[in-house]
Amino acid sequence: MPQPPLELPLPRIQRWMQAVIEQPGSAEEAVAATPARAELAPEDIGRVILPSKTLTPVERVGVYQGMYLLRMVEALEGDYPGVAHFLGDEGFADLVTRYAAAHPSVSYSFNHFGRKFPEFVRSSRVRKKGFLADLARLELLVTEAFDEKESPAWPAEEIARIPEAAWTEAVFAPIAAFRLGAFGYPVNAYLQSVKEGNHDHPAVGARPTWVAVWRKNYEVWRLDLSKPAYEFLRAIAKGRPFGKAVAAAVRGLQGSAGDQLFRWLRDWVAEGMFAGVTLPPGNR
Amino acid sequence: MNPEAVSRNRWGFPDLGIGVGLRTVHYPHILEASPRVDFFEVLSENYMDTGGRPLRVLDQVAERYPIVLHGVSMNIGSTDPLDREHLAKLKALAGRTRAAWVSDHLCWTGVAGRNTHDLLPMPLTEEALRHVVARVKAVSEILERPLILENASTYAEFAASSMPEWEFFGRMMEDADCGMLLDVNNVYVSAYNHGFDPVAYLDAIDPARVTQYHLAGHTNKGTHIIDTHSDHVIDAVWDLYRHAIRRTGNVSTLLEWDADIPEFSVVHAEALKARPHRRGEKAVAAAAS
Repeated sequence: MPQPPLELPLPRIQRWMQAVIEQPGSAEEAVAATPARAELAPEDIGRVILPSKTLTPVERVGVYQGMYLLRMVEALEGDYPGVAHFLGDEGFADLVTRYAAAHPSVSYSFNHFGRKFPEFVRSSRVRKKGFLADLARLELLVTEAFDEKESPAWPAEEIARIPEAAWTEAVFAPIAAFRLGAFGYPVNAYLQSVKEGNHDHPAVGARPTWVAVWRKNYEVWRLDLSKPAYEFLRAIAKGRPFGKAVAAAVRGLQGSAGDQLFRWLRDWVAEGMFAGVTLPPGNR
Repeated sequence: MNPEAVSRNRWGFPDLGIGVGLRTVHYPHILEASPRVDFFEVLSENYMDTGGRPLRVLDQVAERYPIVLHGVSMNIGSTDPLDREHLAKLKALAGRTRAAWVSDHLCWTGVAGRNTHDLLPMPLTEEALRHVVARVKAVSEILERPLILENASTYAEFAASSMPEWEFFGRMMEDADCGMLLDVNNVYVSAYNHGFDPVAYLDAIDPARVTQYHLAGHTNKGTHIIDTHSDHVIDAVWDLYRHAIRRTGNVSTLLEWDADIPEFSVVHAEALKARPHRRGEKAVAAAAS
């Protein structure tokens, strides 16, 4: 004999339904799991959800529950194509399932959902964890550069207009969509091979690498750097006066270091990594 | 623009014609070919937190075409507090794009600060109705414009519901003075899933509050239908659209295609199939784009 409907308050209905939807496993398992059970006894589901001609109450809620993780996986596949490729469909879905349980989406936008993914990978049980965490970190830098606010690049020809006497104190500012990363693995080479559809991926053994990520003409670019170039670029991008950045950098270089540093700077400016320069008073 | 439709709409919202949802894969074609499309509908949340290419493209599209904003995360039915940050960004985006109107869904997407990113069903109760009406009024005040809400496809019904969805929608629109984005495919999907008469649903809606139509394809699983937006519109949905538009007059009509998205000309041609169903408009070739 059918039992009368349970007239639960709206907040409790929503807490229960969300608990079921977020729970991995089958719909039956989700309805019976602790978070959902805290709001509604599994045997009472028929008093909250009606059956249809073809589906039971559990199956009807299961339609939503089954789609939840698929949506989370799809969202992170877009942000982390390299990690997804490395792990394969099953491995990536398993990792995202654990991530979504630990860090459910708390924003109106999917843009924010994957922001903690790199640190989660680093703390997870997953093969090649160090490499994958670094790869995820690089992919997050790409996403950040893609979404950053627009700041026009400093025209390359302006560099010739800096008075000679002003160079020592000149402070360069990177564009908003500029990021630098230091990694323990060749993650940029791996990501490039994935994006090119290359099945002959580079070895992913431990090896320090350095990468600049920035947006130019609404496309995100990645550039492998040597360690001296990375440290020089990092010093400049952090707002260190050019003279001090040069003095620190030449210690790691040999021969005509000054020429090399200036060539790097000119190339980076030409690539649109900088938004402008602040010169000492009297030179503006 | 159809003057008859203008006079029928509660707020005088115009009939923008037949539009298409703006999707990333179509950006290059739209910018290079400038297809003859009456208007574009934009998924609001995709443009709120980005300063890069999506926003640049949106600005360019908004310079050439009328825009309407359509959201999926207003969470109007949730028992969480309204997300003021979301609403502030939505209002700013509406201003930036000179959006003709702003719509979202009658649903909830999450509680306890979480977002499932799904359009979850409301129990159709007096308690839920009072709750939603108060929130729609608050949102309309914040946005300084009437809110337009879409009927979502639903896959579950609550035993405690005390009225059909069309009655809930009608009373909500009356009490909160909001409009409807009538998704004809969603009416078909929910009618199939719950066993009600889709024509009865359409006939119960106040035509003066219908501000926009949605059309889309779906996936029939046999036991139920999922609103996948992954295919052509089926004939039965076109029949319902023709029935609905006889009541409302010509109202802005938009085709959604969100999965397995074909090239733009296919999507646009599917949208243009609405033309012979509208009053005083003849079929046009797909080559119009």
